[in-house]
Amino acid sequence: MALAGTAPAASSSSATRLIAALGQPAPARTAFAEARFLHVLDRPLVVSGELAWLGGNRLQRQVEQPQPETATIADGEVTLQRAGKPARRFSLGHAPQLQVLLESFVALLSGDAGRLQQAFEIRHSGSAAAGWTLTLVPRDAKVARTVASIAIDGYGKQSRCMRMQDADGDLAVDLLGPLAAQMPAAPTREALQALCRSAP
Amino acid sequence: MRTGGRATLLLLWLLALAGLGWVVSQRLRVSTDLRSFMPAPTTPDQRLLMEQVGDGPGSRLLLLAIRGRPDTQLAALSQGLVAALKHDPRYSQVLNGSFDLGALDPQLLPYRYLLSPTLDTQPLDAAYLSAQLQQRLDDLSSPAASLLQGLLPRDPTLEVLKLAERWAPARAPELRDGVWFSPRHEALLLVQTVAAGFDPDAQQRAIDGIRQAFHALPGSAGATLELSGPGYFSVVVGAQTRHQAEWIGRISTVGFIALLLLAYRSVSSLLLGSLPIASAALAGIAALIVAFPAVHGITLAFGFTLLGVAQEYPIRVLSHRRAGEDAVQSVRALWPLLLTAIASACIAYLAFYASGVNGLQQLAVFTIVGLLVAGFSTRYLLPHLLPRRVRDVADMRWLQRTRDWVDQLPRPRWIPLLVALAIVAMLALAPGPFWQNNLAALTPLPQAMLLRDARLREALGAPDVRYLLVLQAATEQGVLALSEKLQPQVDALLARHAADALELPSRYLPSVAVQRARQQKLPDRATLQHALAQALQGLPFRPGLFQPFLDDVQAARTLPPLTPEHYAQTPLGQRLAAMLMQRDGHWFGLGTVSGVHDVAALQALGKGSGGKVRLLDLKAASESLVAAYRTRILQALGVASLLLVLTITFALRSLRRAWHVLAPMTLATFLVLAVERAMGIEISLFHLVALILAGGLGLHYALFFERDTGDPAEQRRTLHATLVCVLSALLVFGMLAWATIPVLRAIGLTVSLGVAFHFCLSILMAPHPHAAED
Repeated sequence: MALAGTAPAASSSSATRLIAALGQPAPARTAFAEARFLHVLDRPLVVSGELAWLGGNRLQRQVEQPQPETATIADGEVTLQRAGKPARRFSLGHAPQLQVLLESFVALLSGDAGRLQQAFEIRHSGSAAAGWTLTLVPRDAKVARTVASIAIDGYGKQSRCMRMQDADGDLAVDLLGPLAAQMPAAPTREALQALCRSAP
Repeated sequence: MRTGGRATLLLLWLLALAGLGWVVSQRLRVSTDLRSFMPAPTTPDQRLLMEQVGDGPGSRLLLLAIRGRPDTQLAALSQGLVAALKHDPRYSQVLNGSFDLGALDPQLLPYRYLLSPTLDTQPLDAAYLSAQLQQRLDDLSSPAASLLQGLLPRDPTLEVLKLAERWAPARAPELRDGVWFSPRHEALLLVQTVAAGFDPDAQQRAIDGIRQAFHALPGSAGATLELSGPGYFSVVVGAQTRHQAEWIGRISTVGFIALLLLAYRSVSSLLLGSLPIASAALAGIAALIVAFPAVHGITLAFGFTLLGVAQEYPIRVLSHRRAGEDAVQSVRALWPLLLTAIASACIAYLAFYASGVNGLQQLAVFTIVGLLVAGFSTRYLLPHLLPRRVRDVADMRWLQRTRDWVDQLPRPRWIPLLVALAIVAMLALAPGPFWQNNLAALTPLPQAMLLRDARLREALGAPDVRYLLVLQAATEQGVLALSEKLQPQVDALLARHAADALELPSRYLPSVAVQRARQQKLPDRATLQHALAQALQGLPFRPGLFQPFLDDVQAARTLPPLTPEHYAQTPLGQRLAAMLMQRDGHWFGLGTVSGVHDVAALQALGKGSGGKVRLLDLKAASESLVAAYRTRILQALGVASLLLVLTITFALRSLRRAWHVLAPMTLATFLVLAVERAMGIEISLFHLVALILAGGLGLHYALFFERDTGDPAEQRRTLHATLVCVLSALLVFGMLAWATIPVLRAIGLTVSLGVAFHFCLSILMAPHPHAAED
């Protein structure tokens, strides 16, 4: 019993150390390129731009290609702005994917392992010094019905990739930081996974 | 009568009362709808007003605010409350601002192409579809993707969202965590009850349901739920009035019993003396049950008050008994006078019957039956039960002294003239308007509550309770068509800020003609398939994804157009049902208005419509209705007064004696009116009712004082009986005069003043004993 109890604690303590090491002061910005594999489409949608954590629970996702669009998450509300159109607002409660994205992103950037652990079951593989993967599974059953898991791939103290797997099979892969520039013109799930796992 | 006989009679009487009580408790249905106390409407417009006063969309709206917790928890509570109330049959609509795709019944989804105005300007062709699909692709790469993805295959042009936006309240408050919030961190909700706003009992049930649902929510412990709106107010006012009336009633009952015990020093006399009143009340209710389907709560409350007159009958009998004389004998001597009093009171209450107002007719039936039963049981039953030996009150020392003092009072002939002059002067110089036309002024709400209502109404953009735009047509479809025709003018008015919002019925359901026209524009399957294929070129949507869209458009082409009856089962259909109604072979549509800035501009909407479109000002209409109502009561009272003069003259068989009875009564009645007016009080219907009650009491005083001309002992007994009556009336109504609720105060003050004036004037204007002896 004692042995069984210590094993996950050891793994979670290594995860805690890793998450603490990833923390950055707000505001933190990073380039991103996202490929979405949706079951309603027969090829992935690719957008790129900048992700910014503005501190607190505020996140901004600025898309530059192919259509400029700014999405701001603040105070439980999402505001979408596109050039020449009135802003659209909706509640975060209606978009579980975004909720999960916000939770994981903010917790990671602030290095807050405790908060991350409250919302997710955390699995950690790889080594802290080289390539690693943190897999987050939502604890909330209602959220888990839409979002199956989030995997974050990184190397050293750098997050390089975020893969959000929806329960219905849809997948969104975000390449972060320098890796964003390497988004292929016609990405596939396999190619992106390989890219995420590769050493910088 | 022998002891055995008395016991049998008492037993039979009590058994009869118990039986009557049982029937009443089994059959009595009390209604609380205040509208049965309004005059019967005569024109269709007035009928509409009566409906609207309690039943209109605005008056059935409850405004809710939840506060006292962090925003996220308030938002969760707001959502929880909506989920709990949504399928409750007591509420026709529950809104909290959350985006609700369920607004349209899933079975009605294909109808979106007939309900949405998109196709009026935009055919479903390749160019439009292409533009829409490109937008959906952008949506899919945005964070909103998860919202739309489920909807996409069936509704690529997002008609459902356009409808949801169209049906959202015109001026919605700020959204936080997906629900409405006020600037003061309160989660806001709108609940429309099925029950009428002026039915306090039904509103109470609706409000209890909301509170129960709220307290059952997890996390509601630290939060506060506040309510506002006409229905809530009617509950608060009802509870306040009942509460004050109850505690005042308790105190005055104790005082009344103490007074009677002091006056007659006999518990058995007191108990037996209450039997006629108890019989009167039960018989009155029984008569109501037979004559009316439901008895109004106010009838009972006022009825019991008016029955106070009947308490005089046993009091007169008790005071006028001589030592050793059989009670039956003393009653026989009193009877002609009592009968005159009973007949006159019944005639006065007949005026209520002639008013044509259901509630007042009930009041008339109740009091007339009650007075007759009280009178006849006092005459034919009570004397047989009263103990034989009694103290003669005429022997009491203080009474002798008082009578002597009263007899020595100067009774100059100029007193009536002086009083009449004073009345004229006071009426002429009194400040403010004579009549109180605003019924609401009598049941005022705490200022804080009104301010909160105004604040919530402003925040929620909830419709005004005062103005309604009325559309009239021969058929239901005609109303919808009229509403559609009016929409552009209304839009122009709103653009000019004549009002903040104006919601027409066609907003929820277009007319069948418009729906048919939209059907005609829908492409057939082959055409749509072709256009879609063209639009999809170069776009990454999975082949066959939009099959449900093709199917829905095909279904929409052949659907029978949606009518209000079909629509009625859905939440929105109920909203619409509240805006459409049939009266007297006409159909009426009601447009709700919020934030009126320019009444004249709204009135101008009806110009040239020949009365088909008009702005109904509920406040002005209700005030004119109250005025019309009062005129009818006054006319009825005029006739009653004439009958009264004839009755009294006939009963006394002398014009001079009738003058001695009627002059003090008339002068005292007008004196009350003049004094109240001099105090700045505006006279309402309740004052009139109270004046009639006081008049009935005053008639007794005058009748008995007038009769007193021979025997000094009998004069003392009359004074004793009158003093007991005056003191008990002053006790009961004087207490009411201290109430803070204006309705109670109006009745209390009027009757107290009336009793005092009637008493004084009937003594001062009674024929002088010495003069009579001449």
